[in-house]
Amino acid sequence: MYRKITAGYSALLRWLLAIAVGILIFPVSLQIFSRYTELIPSYIWTEEMARFLFIWMIMIGAMLGIHENRHFEVDVWPRLAPRPQAALRLVSHLAVLVFALVFVWAGIEFTRFAWNRISELAELPLWLIHIAWPVTGVTWLVFLGEQAWDNLRTLIWGAPLRTEEDHSTESAL
Amino acid sequence: MTGAHLSSGQATWILFGLFFGLMFLRVPIAFALGLACLPILLIEPRLDSMQLVQETFNAYNSFILLAVPFFLLAANLMNAGGITDRLVRFSRSLVGHFPGGLAQVNVVLSIFFAGISGSSTADAASQSKIFIEAQTKEGYDLSFSVAITAVSAVLAVIIPPSILMIVWGGVLTTSIGALFLAGIIPGLLIGFVQMGTVHVYAKLRNYPTYPRATFREIMSSAAVSIPALLMPIIIIGGKGWFTATESAGIAVIYAIILCAFFYRELSFKGLYESLLETGRLAAVALFCVGTASAFGWLLAYYQIPKAILAGVSAWELGLYGTGMFIAFVFLVVGCFLDAIPAIIIVGTILQPLAQAVHMHPVHFAMIGIVSLAFGLVTPPYGLCLMIACSVAGIRIIDALWDTILMLLPMLGVLALVIFWPEMVLFLPKLVSPEFLK
Repeated sequence: MYRKITAGYSALLRWLLAIAVGILIFPVSLQIFSRYTELIPSYIWTEEMARFLFIWMIMIGAMLGIHENRHFEVDVWPRLAPRPQAALRLVSHLAVLVFALVFVWAGIEFTRFAWNRISELAELPLWLIHIAWPVTGVTWLVFLGEQAWDNLRTLIWGAPLRTEEDHSTESAL
Repeated sequence: MTGAHLSSGQATWILFGLFFGLMFLRVPIAFALGLACLPILLIEPRLDSMQLVQETFNAYNSFILLAVPFFLLAANLMNAGGITDRLVRFSRSLVGHFPGGLAQVNVVLSIFFAGISGSSTADAASQSKIFIEAQTKEGYDLSFSVAITAVSAVLAVIIPPSILMIVWGGVLTTSIGALFLAGIIPGLLIGFVQMGTVHVYAKLRNYPTYPRATFREIMSSAAVSIPALLMPIIIIGGKGWFTATESAGIAVIYAIILCAFFYRELSFKGLYESLLETGRLAAVALFCVGTASAFGWLLAYYQIPKAILAGVSAWELGLYGTGMFIAFVFLVVGCFLDAIPAIIIVGTILQPLAQAVHMHPVHFAMIGIVSLAFGLVTPPYGLCLMIACSVAGIRIIDALWDTILMLLPMLGVLALVIFWPEMVLFLPKLVSPEFLK
């Protein structure tokens, strides 16, 4: 059940990420065309719009990065047996967990801080952007739970690592 | 000093100690950087953890960095649109008859691709799949094939467009247009040096060659490749009118038009995959920019760069000594750290040192970027070598010797960059002197 939710959620995030990258093209091309042609008026909000979408793109990709093990890491360890490997992964999960909690906690503050403010150019409510931080933190917690569970099982029962494939070296495909 | 609770010595220990400790435990680099800031933010009464969020926000809220996903997308689209096969054919018709034909094609394709793509890791991934198996089938040694694929992939961040140059320009306020122009000559030189290395290998080990292509073959393969190879000219040529981000946007539009009307191989699925892969790589790389900026911000808060540099400036290195020192630091750091956080953290630390000896900012940037590019193939953290090895299914240590042999002549080019600033400054001066102001 939990696994289905995380699978569905990550599929949704993949679509959102692709769409975010696709939409990003529009405000920037609008900006170019409006500056050099007379066809459309020059909109001042395109630049701000692009930046805000860009922020969301980074955060969605960072959320997905945890699920897919794509964040860059340095591996100086020799090839480990499944159990020590799982233990090491759990330690690193713990570190990511702390970071995720900081994002949730400080992110909520950050969002509240922006609650009544609007952006300078497009006059969007700023919390729409700031909320990306707590959302990212919560998403990490969800994905971490699944991975930590797998590693914990390996540690206790010594089962082979089933779901956690190492994408870290292919991360750049 | 700043009325801070901790002394700058204590802060240095906490920041770097925690960062390296966490990195050793295989915590992703971006997270290790952020977590290293945390204790200080909690101890220091004037700071709190919201500062971390605020600093990451400030880093992402940048129109310049937006160029990163665009250049990636342009390259991914060209790839999905079938440009790679055509460029392979063109490269083969040009250099296939040299000794070590296929390995020469490998290097030349990397040069062509570097002009379209700004990411070495993306190049290493796609070229490993094309070349490693094909080369071993033709009788090349596996470790040689892995090494030349990885080593030639570093050209992507030296020849424009380059993600590292965008980040460098954005973080250290250097003209990205000037950096793009400055990268052309060193990039081509490194490419030629690699072709020379392949030549020597091929002679010693009797690697096979292809028959010489006819003039007709060269012309016909050139005809289908040239629209794609115009990309760098569009990117660099537009620099006078457009910002870096806008010219990246134009590159995307150009790629879409080429794929849709000229090559006609782009499917909807290919489009989705290109968008997704772009998002994945750009986001993971740029997320790191945020936490690295927070880390760098704390270093500046405690004036740590000044403390580190106080020792170095006492040595009174001249322009060239400083250049060598900068290259050495970046080469060492590049072994352990990804290039983007290295630029943000180490680049800002070294900047005053370069300024003190009146090194030109573009010269400084090129020394740093070329050194960091070499770091992409040096273990323990050499992403390109890791990718090529994982595709080939061998350990890094197996390909290490050949990689080091190939790096030696490339270090010669780095020495040229250091001791002959005109080599990098020549093109920017020639094309648009206003970039250098």
